Amino acid sequence: MISSLIRPVQGRLTLAVGLMALASLVQLVPALAIAELAREFAPSIVAEVTPDETASYWTIGWVAVGAIFAMLVLFMAAGLVSHLADSALSLHVRRRLVDHLGRVPLGWFGRRSSGTVRKVVQDDVSALHHLVAHATLDVTAATVVPVVSLLYLFVVDWRLTLIMLIPVVIGLVSFSLAMRGAMAKYAEYDASLARLGAASVELVDGITVVKAFGETGRAHRAFREAGEQFSAFFYGWMRQTARASVIFEVAISPSAILATVLAGAGLLVGTGRMAALDVLPFALLALGITGSMVRFMYGTQQVREGRQAAERIGEVLSVKALPEPASEEAVSPTTGHGAGHVAYEQAEFSYNEATKAVRGVSLELRPGSVTALVGPSGSGKSTLARLLPRFDDVDAGAVRLGGLDIRRLPTRHLYEHVGFVFQDVALLRTTVRDNIRLGRPDAGDEAVRAAARAAQIHQRVLDTPRGYDSVVGDDTVFSGGEAQRISIARALLADAPVLVLDEATAFADPESEAAVQEALSQLVAGRTLLVIAHRLHTIKGVDQIAVMDSGRVVELGTHEQLLSAGGRYSRLWNAYENGRTGSESFLAATGEETSR
Amino acid sequence: MIKLLTALFEQGARRRFRGLLAGLVLVGVLEGVTFVLLAPVLSTMLKGDHVRMWWWIGALALVAALYGAALAWTTHVGYRVGTNALSSIYAKLGDHLSLLPLGWFNTERTGSISRLVTKGAVNIAGAPAHLLRPVVTAVVSPLTVMLFMLVIEWRIGLALLLSAPVALGAQRISNAMITRADVAWDASAADANARVLEYARMQPVLRAFGRHIDGNELLDASLTHESAMGRRLLLRGATGFSLYLAALQGVIVVAIFLAIYLTLEGGLSASLAIALLVLTVRFVEPLVAAADLGSAARLATESLKRINAVLDSPVMPEPSVPRRAKNSEVVLDDVSFGYDEDAPVLRGVSFRAPAGGVTAIVGPSGSGKSTVLRLISRFYDADDGAVLIGGEDVRNLGTGEVMRNVAMVFQDVYLFEGSILDNIRIGRRDASDEDVMEAARTARVDEIAERLPDGWETQVGEGGTALSGGERQRLSVARALLKNAPVLLLDEATAALDPENEAAVHEAIRHLAHQRTVIVIAHRINTVVAADRIVVLDRGAVEDTGTHTELLERGGRYAEFWSQRQQAAGWRLVHD
Repeated sequence: MISSLIRPVQGRLTLAVGLMALASLVQLVPALAIAELAREFAPSIVAEVTPDETASYWTIGWVAVGAIFAMLVLFMAAGLVSHLADSALSLHVRRRLVDHLGRVPLGWFGRRSSGTVRKVVQDDVSALHHLVAHATLDVTAATVVPVVSLLYLFVVDWRLTLIMLIPVVIGLVSFSLAMRGAMAKYAEYDASLARLGAASVELVDGITVVKAFGETGRAHRAFREAGEQFSAFFYGWMRQTARASVIFEVAISPSAILATVLAGAGLLVGTGRMAALDVLPFALLALGITGSMVRFMYGTQQVREGRQAAERIGEVLSVKALPEPASEEAVSPTTGHGAGHVAYEQAEFSYNEATKAVRGVSLELRPGSVTALVGPSGSGKSTLARLLPRFDDVDAGAVRLGGLDIRRLPTRHLYEHVGFVFQDVALLRTTVRDNIRLGRPDAGDEAVRAAARAAQIHQRVLDTPRGYDSVVGDDTVFSGGEAQRISIARALLADAPVLVLDEATAFADPESEAAVQEALSQLVAGRTLLVIAHRLHTIKGVDQIAVMDSGRVVELGTHEQLLSAGGRYSRLWNAYENGRTGSESFLAATGEETSR
Repeated sequence: MIKLLTALFEQGARRRFRGLLAGLVLVGVLEGVTFVLLAPVLSTMLKGDHVRMWWWIGALALVAALYGAALAWTTHVGYRVGTNALSSIYAKLGDHLSLLPLGWFNTERTGSISRLVTKGAVNIAGAPAHLLRPVVTAVVSPLTVMLFMLVIEWRIGLALLLSAPVALGAQRISNAMITRADVAWDASAADANARVLEYARMQPVLRAFGRHIDGNELLDASLTHESAMGRRLLLRGATGFSLYLAALQGVIVVAIFLAIYLTLEGGLSASLAIALLVLTVRFVEPLVAAADLGSAARLATESLKRINAVLDSPVMPEPSVPRRAKNSEVVLDDVSFGYDEDAPVLRGVSFRAPAGGVTAIVGPSGSGKSTVLRLISRFYDADDGAVLIGGEDVRNLGTGEVMRNVAMVFQDVYLFEGSILDNIRIGRRDASDEDVMEAARTARVDEIAERLPDGWETQVGEGGTALSGGERQRLSVARALLKNAPVLLLDEATAALDPENEAAVHEAIRHLAHQRTVIVIAHRINTVVAADRIVVLDRGAVEDTGTHTELLERGGRYAEFWSQRQQAAGWRLVHD
């Protein structure tokens, strides 16, 4: 997954790796320069005299200085290139995710919290940082520095090189011992951490209930237990790997390597098998070999997290998008039966294999007519309604607009013809103006005001600090009923001939209910309407009522027809009427007086 | 960071932590000493003085062995200390969270808590073993080298010494540059977070208006800004980092030239000069490596600060000897309250809810209705005035006693992970199975259970089967029924439930309201009409109290409310 994700910046990353390899090579030069200087000094060391001034000393000095600055420049360049690549990649992946998410079936969002989406788009993409910006460079350094140093040292003296490698090998072996079974442990670690996270969510999110029912002690205990469990696991894991990882740390520590190298050197030099001068490159380069390795190994956890994040990003990107028609053929639903005609034809849909939410529904909405969907919760009303704006696509059958299968309509065209007003109103954190002209971003001020006036919200907007320029959430907060009216203004301005009202007659605050109702009456005039309704009395006068049960339309007709048929609708209506007139209030049957 | 960590520990663990710190300093010194011993070893080796050379090698090996032992010890202790830190964090957070006023828990905070106890705590737990040692050694070891250098050859030593302020200065500058860019970047990331959340939440609306794919300028602008701020931070950071690196590498340059010069002119022996140059490289290396540790240290410190911020939030005062409520009368006596100091929500609210009677609160949204219920259930304490239950100030009753007296049915219902029955049993932990079943039947939860695949054992809540809003409310009514508290606080649903759920909820609440003191935020005409007493709230103040008839006669806001409700109830989407 990760390789296909980073493809867009692959070229830049290769450049960064090249720069880093070069930097790692140049990094060795100052040490070698010191060794070379020692060689120049050698005759005078043996003779124990002050060396004569020759140009070569200074030349070596200047070479070292040059190398140091070249190294600095190369290091910074490599880091900068990789980090900028990472930054560009983050933006690229985020845009790709957002674009893709805009095309997946809406049902996908329904099964996830918005927090999960935020985590993938923001946190998971950020988690790629170490992998992209650091890990590749660390690997390069961890390869180039040891390989080149070892080659060089091997040429200088292969025996001392082998001796020097003893602690390194011990270190690597114990590292792999420490990492043995690590994958299983990591899984356990993740699970334990997830339990802890869940316990904290329960304590914190459910705190109202926890306190209200005196459950503070229990939730608190559950959290503590999860905490102690995790602490114990953490300690156990650390202890278990402690011996191996301590051996690793000690073996590759600078002191251990130095002690080994110098002891070996003492043996070889003391017995005359090696020139004392040849020890210098070892003293200078040996520590660099392990240093670069340690840095790489400390990054393994972050690399693991990066890979997991990449997997999650990949999962989201592989969610199948709703197909768009291949070419922008000039299809328009205004042909055939006309713009406002909708037909469901044997439509089937299921969220999962187990149960079908909509089974073989055929339903015609004639232009300018009002159709109400009623039925118990879970009967498929909302699912059926949401097939029309293509929040999901039918599994079988078709939904047609003006005779045309809506899957053949480019999305843009579809939304010019189908509008939607929701029960729970959501306003964007932007100006009131932009909120109203969401469906028609190019609408002029006059059109926006006209829509707001018709939706009974114009005066309220003018009362906000900056009128139509007020930012929702920052400058002003709208009550539920006010937000509802803004969303109606939005639909009015979009002016789609077909409109879906999902429970739009449920109002958040009673005092603006009348205003919302007035606004709705304005909105529905002259459009083809599909309404989901729970308050049955509001839909008494509609052209047809479709009663749904278990994904099917079981009755269809006008209020009077269905009542006289004496079927399911009439039972629903009677239950509803009883509820309304008899005991709409819970107080009615408690022995209180009902009419004072 | 060390100070913050110390504050976290109890006495015993604190001593262990101090021991660890001392051990880490020792590790650093011993590492420095091995480096220092390199000089005499190399110098004697180059001169061919093998006897002395072996003595020095022996000394170096001995110090290295001590170093290894100290390292092993500190690693072990580090794990212990890290685990201590974890347990201590969890214990303290758990204790503190359960004492915080409910008002503290807003969505922004609750979201960050779970991240804090998982990732944040792990960052801290790993610090003693994996972060503190590199950091301490990176400082102590070069310091040791420099001290010896000053003694052996003060002129090169002085060069090392002088490099310290330069490197520190470079680091200071770099930090300052990063901090400012960091703040801007943080803000831009928070903004992008909010926009992504909005994008996900508002997906239906965005789609219905064709704004989900192209033309989502708000989100795209936000992401672009975040990226630009990130890049700015990066460039600043890079500049600062190069300054620091250049300052350190400069030391090597100066040392090389000094060594050559001193050997040629100043009577420094060539072998010692070489050894000191090697030592200089050893001086610089840990300091360069230290730069890598900066971000990890910042991360751990940041987590510690956040945890401390939670632990420092003031808790609600609880009485040492809680009083008991004498009856179920609820009184608000001249109560003023605001969530923010400068924005009062309630101003001098007084009313009496008689024991066993129904008190309806009506008023436009934002008038403070919900706040009144929150104060009665002591989610917050009043700023001024007092809330009394059964003649006692809720502050003297304490949260526990208040909760024993009050049952709540609010609109948002939280379900815990567990079965349906588990979730009802929360109402009263020690209730018999029959009591639980009876409460469930009364709230008609049995109908829900029948429909679900696993019946009563169906798992709900986070990651469980989702219940509809109406079903959740039935469950919460069952909880309240089981709890059987004398005072019932009720927020009447505004969103329409489907007729089936609506009937069930109403019937259950009717049972619940029987013979209890009920305070209800009323939306339905019949509820208001039937109440013993109606409290009309407007902009945080009581405008009027009385019965329906009394209030209608007086006119005013209530009459207006009444006519609006009447009008709304007769509305049709389309007329015949």
